[in-house]
Amino acid sequence: MTQPEQTGFTVEETRIIRQRQAARSRIMGVVLVALCVLFFMITVAKIGVWG
Amino acid sequence: MMTTATRNITLPAEWRDFWALTKPRVMSLVVFTALCGLLAAPGNIHPVIGFTAILCIALGAGACGALNQWYEVDVDAKMARTSKRPLPAGRMDPEAALHFGIGLAAFSVGIMGVAVNWISAALLAFSIFFYAVVYTIWLKPNTPQNIVIGGAAGAFPPVIGWAAVTGDVTLLPVLLFSIIFLWTPPHFWALALFMKTDYGAAGIPMLPNVAGQRVTRNQIFAYSFPMAAVAIAPFLLGESGWLYGVTSALLNLVFLALAFNVWRNEANEAKDMKPEKQLFAFSILYLFLLFALFAFDRILFA
Repeated sequence: MTQPEQTGFTVEETRIIRQRQAARSRIMGVVLVALCVLFFMITVAKIGVWG
Repeated sequence: MMTTATRNITLPAEWRDFWALTKPRVMSLVVFTALCGLLAAPGNIHPVIGFTAILCIALGAGACGALNQWYEVDVDAKMARTSKRPLPAGRMDPEAALHFGIGLAAFSVGIMGVAVNWISAALLAFSIFFYAVVYTIWLKPNTPQNIVIGGAAGAFPPVIGWAAVTGDVTLLPVLLFSIIFLWTPPHFWALALFMKTDYGAAGIPMLPNVAGQRVTRNQIFAYSFPMAAVAIAPFLLGESGWLYGVTSALLNLVFLALAFNVWRNEANEAKDMKPEKQLFAFSILYLFLLFALFAFDRILFA
C-alpha cells in the first residue's frame, strides 16, 4: 500500500486519510459479515432445511 | 476530493458520503412501495428470500441515485438544494461514485436473479437502466416531459416486489405501476413550481420554466383525475376490500381538493405558493398511505 507520507501529504492530511480508511474498513467488514450471513440464510431457504 | 488553496489533493471519501450518494430518502419510498407490492401479491415467499428481494430493490435504487449524481454533478452544483451533495461539494472523486453505482447495480441484479427469480431481476435491471440512462441522460436535460416518462422508473418497485413472489406480472401490479406513474407529474410539478428558480439556474427544462406556471397548474389538476381513477380501480375491479376502497376514495378526494387549490392559485413567487407546498407534502403522505392500506387490505381480505 502506498504510504501517504510518500505522496506529499501533510501530517494532518495523513491523519484524516488513516481515520477515513479505518472507518471504511470497519464498515466494509460489517457489510461482508452481513453478506456471509445472508448468503448462508439464502442457501438454507433455497434447500428448504428449515421449511 | 479535497481542494486546498495551493494544490489539489485527493482524500478518500467518508463512508457517509457513499451513503448520501444512494439518496436514502428516495430509497425509503422505493423500499416501502416494493414491500407493499410483495405483501399484496398472492402466494407465499420465504421471509429470507422476501428480505433479499427488498434488499436488492433498495440497492438498485441506491445504484440509480449514485449514477444519477455522478452524471449530474455540474447541474447539482448550480442548485441550492443539491449543491451540498458529496460530488458537487468536492468531498468525493467522481470515479469512485461511478464505480460504486455500477457495482451496486450489478450486485443487486445478480443477487436478485440467483436468490429470488430472473423475472424480478430483469425488471430491476430495466428500471435501473431506465432511470440512469433514459431519464437522467436523455429525458431530464432535454424535455419538459422528463418526469412524465421518467416517472416510470419510480413506478417499477411494487411490480418488482410482486414479481419476486409470483414470478409474473398481472393486471394488479400494472395498476400499482400506473398509480405511481400518474402520481409523479403532480408531485414533481408542485415541487418544480416553488423551486422554479433553482431548476432554471441549472438549465433543467422543467414544465414551469418551459411552458409557464399556468400550464403547469392546469397539468397538475388534469393528471390528478386519471391518478385518482387508477388508485380506486383495484377496489372497483374487485381486487381489494372495502377498507382500501373507502380510504383510497377519501385520500383521492383530499388530493383532488389540494390540486384544485393549486389550479386556482395565480401566485408567481415561491413564498406565495402555499397550495403547491401543501400538495407536494400531502402527495408523499398520500402514496405512503395508499400503498400501506392496499397491502393491509390484501393481507386481511384477499
